[in-house]
Amino acid sequence: MAQPGIGKKTNTKVEDQSSLKGTLASVFLLGFFLIITWVGVYFLFLDRF
Amino acid sequence: MSTKSINTIVDRRDGKLAMAHFYVAFIALAIGGLAGLLQTLVRSGKYELPWGIGYYQVLTVHGVVLGLVLTTFFIMGFQLAAVSRTSGALTDKQRMTGWIGFWLMTIGTVMAAVMILLNEASVLYTFYAPLQAHALYYVGLTLVIVGSWIDGAALIMAYASWRKANPGKPSPLLTFMAIVNTLLWIVATIGVAATVLFQLLPWSLGLVERVDVLVSRTLFWYFGHPLVYFWLLPAYMAWYAIVPKIIGGKIFSDSLARMSFILFLLFSIPVGFHHQLMEPGIDPAWKFLQVILTFLVIIPSLMTAFSLFATFEMFGRSKGATGLFGWVKKLPWGDARFAVPFIGMLAFIPAGAGGVINASHQLNQVVHNTIWVTGHFHLTLATSVILTFFGISYWLVPHLTGRVLTKAMNKLAIIQAVIWAIGMTFMSGAMHAAGLLGAPRRSSFSTYGGSEQAAEWIPYQVAQAVGGSILFLGIILMLYIFINLAFFAPKGEQEFPVGEVADAAEKTPMVFENWKLWIGITVLLILFAYTIPFIDMIQNAPIGSKGYKFF
Repeated sequence: MAQPGIGKKTNTKVEDQSSLKGTLASVFLLGFFLIITWVGVYFLFLDRF
Repeated sequence: MSTKSINTIVDRRDGKLAMAHFYVAFIALAIGGLAGLLQTLVRSGKYELPWGIGYYQVLTVHGVVLGLVLTTFFIMGFQLAAVSRTSGALTDKQRMTGWIGFWLMTIGTVMAAVMILLNEASVLYTFYAPLQAHALYYVGLTLVIVGSWIDGAALIMAYASWRKANPGKPSPLLTFMAIVNTLLWIVATIGVAATVLFQLLPWSLGLVERVDVLVSRTLFWYFGHPLVYFWLLPAYMAWYAIVPKIIGGKIFSDSLARMSFILFLLFSIPVGFHHQLMEPGIDPAWKFLQVILTFLVIIPSLMTAFSLFATFEMFGRSKGATGLFGWVKKLPWGDARFAVPFIGMLAFIPAGAGGVINASHQLNQVVHNTIWVTGHFHLTLATSVILTFFGISYWLVPHLTGRVLTKAMNKLAIIQAVIWAIGMTFMSGAMHAAGLLGAPRRSSFSTYGGSEQAAEWIPYQVAQAVGGSILFLGIILMLYIFINLAFFAPKGEQEFPVGEVADAAEKTPMVFENWKLWIGITVLLILFAYTIPFIDMIQNAPIGSKGYKFF
């Protein structure tokens, strides 16, 4: 509380090197792709059978 | 410390054994690739085979030579080199065992190939009964499998001697992975050995008149699905344990890699029914069970995807990458040893998605026996796996022959992979699309009596021929690079990269080396998934079928 400036400084620090948020985004994209293709063929199935 | 020193280079004598496997593999690539080109040309409807050569003969050459010969030889050669590199040179006895395996496999290959070329065995690589080939074709394939077991025995002996010399320590990751894949192969091939020795061989020799088709197909697929994982796991070995070193990063987690390999051992075998979902004579409840087990195999594949993304991101961020995808730019795109397998990894995304569709019972009704399936395994095997094998060859072949991958060859290798990706996009993309429109697989060009629906498929078949031609160009380039690396590249030392585990990763537990446990669970799962269905099939068996030879 006595030194509010310090807290502010850490906010502008460079990104954490151990961050894996790109990996998280990538696996989500992969998951969505799996779901979209599956649902696509599922609708073909519903349409035909 | 171990009594056996760990090499940074593969022992020269082990290198010769591995190279012998690679020579056969790349000769197979040349022959099988040419057959593939001819098939796509025939199916376009614009070309007919000369000299009375049959489409199905060429199709059999393509499937057997690439699906069974190229893969088995390359994988055994690679695993021998990987074990020698990470667990120390083979002993004379182990190496001799490897050579016996190699020669048995080669003799078997020649026997089967001669029968196919004499048009005595145009039964495709699945050799489904009641199609009946010449007995020597089955004997040849049996020798290939027995030879691969003996090759596998050499690996297991080398692993055992490492464990003996290093009690209480987890084995080197690449050795561990090679052993899992070898065990998977041995357990899986028991099925195909059973159908060949007890059903097809006596039947083709005329000792018995009839064959139980459903039992033989079930034994084939008991083998046929783990077969695809036997192809895939060596690519995963490179992705998990070698590519991180090539890019200058670390293996995300040693334990995660071992865990995913164990899961493949457990769940890739009791799942053959997902290839037989449309087949009568198997209770739907057992099909359902095997579909569930199939979906469990998705877990280690997704673990692999996560682990690879994480390896790449950790590396990129260590090089100062920021933002969500900034790390992508930091990867060494100019290095063929990375870029070529990476294209393979990318191809595994649509390949995996297609696999999930194939294994779902209702969706399988949409795609079953259509050329969609052919498109699917040309993404898995003929792109993900084979581009990774090419990527491995670019450092392993010069490493074993005491040469180096030059800058010019490196560039050519990247061009090769790009050509492959373009050709496969055309060919496999058109196969997927035509398959959804109902175009059958395993069949020569036909207008089906002027059917309107069949006419819809023709443009896609032309696209397949375009893709096939581009791919053939890729094969010529690959053969050129292989010959260069084996015989003509400048002498020098090419590194055999072996990844190190990230500092933050947990220590590897010893439970992964508990083979009694893992083989025990594997056997239990197989017995659970197959015992009652087999009893049903045999108790309610119809009269068997006589053999048919349409060639």
